[in-house]
Amino acid sequence: MDKNYLKMGPHDVGGEESLPIDTTDNNMTHWEKYANALRIVVSSKRIITLDELRYHTEALGDQYFEIGYFERNCLSLHNICIQKGIYDMELFQKIKSKKISEFDVPIVDLPDVATINHIHDGKPHLHNVSDFQEDESGDGPPDYYFDTLAIAQIFIDQGLITNDDIALKIEQFDNVFPNRGKAVVAKAWHDNLFKEELIKDAKKAISDIGIELETFADIICMPQTDTVHHIVVCTLCSCYPRTLLGMPPSWYKSRSYRSRVVHEPREVLAEFGTIVPESKEIKVHDSNADMRYLILPPRPSNTEDLSEQELSKLVERDYLVGVRLPK
Amino acid sequence: MDSKFKINDEVIVDSRSSTGHCRTPAYIRGKKGIIERICGRFPNPEEIALCKKDPKIVTLYRCRFKQMDVWDNYSGKDSDTIELEIYEHWLNDA
Repeated sequence: MDKNYLKMGPHDVGGEESLPIDTTDNNMTHWEKYANALRIVVSSKRIITLDELRYHTEALGDQYFEIGYFERNCLSLHNICIQKGIYDMELFQKIKSKKISEFDVPIVDLPDVATINHIHDGKPHLHNVSDFQEDESGDGPPDYYFDTLAIAQIFIDQGLITNDDIALKIEQFDNVFPNRGKAVVAKAWHDNLFKEELIKDAKKAISDIGIELETFADIICMPQTDTVHHIVVCTLCSCYPRTLLGMPPSWYKSRSYRSRVVHEPREVLAEFGTIVPESKEIKVHDSNADMRYLILPPRPSNTEDLSEQELSKLVERDYLVGVRLPK
Repeated sequence: MDSKFKINDEVIVDSRSSTGHCRTPAYIRGKKGIIERICGRFPNPEEIALCKKDPKIVTLYRCRFKQMDVWDNYSGKDSDTIELEIYEHWLNDA
């Protein structure tokens, strides 16, 4: 590997040596979903553009990999707002304190069971420890969630966005977007004509079946074949066809995946349990600008009798990024 | 405006350094490939990031590179390729 090139910044990781990939996908917490939804609402309404957000995330320097993905996205949004004068620190702190106080619930000492002895139906009634449970346990939300809530509240107060905008995005990311890609692939498995249209012009083919993607980007569909294995990465950030597949899995956003796929795709694929024979070409797609990618996996064997609906249940997200193949 | 390059043209990604936001990863700068397709014309992200009014509209290409030409000691196969999207102002004639 050429070690002499100059990286643009902490985000420009393509080609780095890095650690093995944690291929499990961690489910998102509510605050991660909220932070993601706010970012998408703000950028889709063009209040702040995606490229501005990326620029300010890249400018975090050493902090970039020291804090988590959603935290750094929140911090860059905040920095832009301050720089552009959308709000000042005084207003921000005031709203944030208010948001924190809404989470303040009085801590009530649980009763000592040994001292409780009261009468039920005329008989002494003893209690067990298990009768008294905390409603919640574990840590509360991270500090950046309050930052996110404060930023959202200021945008709402300024009439730029609404609570419903954020709620809708959370709902779409949970229940709408992830199903679209699966439906599209099931249709392509079932309908050869649609498959051809999809490969020719994916965004149009998807629109023609009534799915209007809320995105400025174009979609390119690459079919897996007997001779070529396709795999997608974004080495600069986490570009992903979100309105077609939902949120990218945690490994897709990881430094390891982003660094390594471009220069050792076979090794990375093996970590996902995908062994690509030497006879096959591996084609890596760095989703680094305005295109988004959908990998079309081969239809699983012995599924000739299945309906489109039944086929859609066999489509897994990992196939559509190219890290795994159906059996 | 016509695109400067057409499909299968040989190109070299400019090896200059950049400041600010840019979508040309360092690892591909100075590397030689071919035009895979013309994606269309898009506002220059380098200018959008700086909130410039009326950012320049530039042609975006998908470029194909042989992995052997991108990495010293690439461990995979000769036929392995990598494809990226590169804006016209980052491409030179090979």
